[in-house]
Amino acid sequence: MISALRLSALLLALLTLAGLAQAEEIASGSTFLSPEMRRQQDDPNRNPAWFWVDQGEGLFARKPASGEACLGCHADPVASLRGAATRYPQVEEASGKLLNLEGRIEQCRTERQHAPAFGYESAELLSLTAYVASLSRGLPMSVRADGPARPFYEAGKAFFERRQGQLNLSCQQCHDGLVGQKLRGDTISHGAGTGYPAYRLEWNTVGSLHRRLRACSLGVRATQFDYGSPEYLALELYLADRAKGLPVETPALRR
Amino acid sequence: MFNARITVPPQAKAGEIVEIKVLVRHPMDRGGQSDGQGGTVPRKILNRMTATYAGAEIFRIDMNTGVAANPFVSFTTRAIETGDILFEWREDGGATYRRTARLSVA
Repeated sequence: MISALRLSALLLALLTLAGLAQAEEIASGSTFLSPEMRRQQDDPNRNPAWFWVDQGEGLFARKPASGEACLGCHADPVASLRGAATRYPQVEEASGKLLNLEGRIEQCRTERQHAPAFGYESAELLSLTAYVASLSRGLPMSVRADGPARPFYEAGKAFFERRQGQLNLSCQQCHDGLVGQKLRGDTISHGAGTGYPAYRLEWNTVGSLHRRLRACSLGVRATQFDYGSPEYLALELYLADRAKGLPVETPALRR
Repeated sequence: MFNARITVPPQAKAGEIVEIKVLVRHPMDRGGQSDGQGGTVPRKILNRMTATYAGAEIFRIDMNTGVAANPFVSFTTRAIETGDILFEWREDGGATYRRTARLSVA
């Protein structure tokens, strides 16, 4: 009798532990898709986001009016840029600024190619970002949150945990506390940005992670920060660190 | 910016029913939004897609504003002979786009 009680207590403790371990594990956004949408995402002939990747591949090889094409320096991108996207956002040593993949591509374009910037959320920048990120498909996210990136990471973490907006909600309350539950018609995810730039059905097009974050800010009626703003960059770094080890899925399909 | 991804089976037997999948990049703009100058943006969608194979039209779809951007269409046909399937899209304003896909029949 006593041993049976002990056994059940032990089992209960083990189950609780397993539950806790599961709660701390971050799942990719694809986990929360319906099976049909996941099939559509994984089939390049049905996932429209691949059009943007194709366009990016074309832009990568095209010479701008001034300077070299991307391909001039990054020869054989399939090998040389494999894994590049897993390390962004990262701090640029020279300027001490935090750059995400979009920021890095724009910087390359203005400083090395001496061409006018595309502009955040332009079809061209989205395409190039999607193409470069797609070269890291399947590789685990491995951003650095230590050293010079530490203050940015801390800022992103603070942003994630801070209550904000008229609804007085923090990101954490939903994306840690209510994961798997329903919000309107959708399932709440962990907020892993590993599939972005992604094709969202709501947008009918490909958009950046910052566009998604702006939609989140609007949802809790908080300040929407600009594309590429320091607030969202820091948050992007924190989210990327949270998603460490998850494979890059760009170009993903999201609801 | 129009583009299309067409999937046909790599090889088909004569008489076999094959599935053809077509994904198109098009914003399918239903129009009606303000153009900022007192007018409205006109509708600009792909309003018809046809597929021609072995001298006959094998598929046609008329699309309207309820069709989402970047539409996906799949249909079946009977493989008769090795040849090109010609796809044609008609856009509001009169533009047409064409793509071909080769179906090899053994």
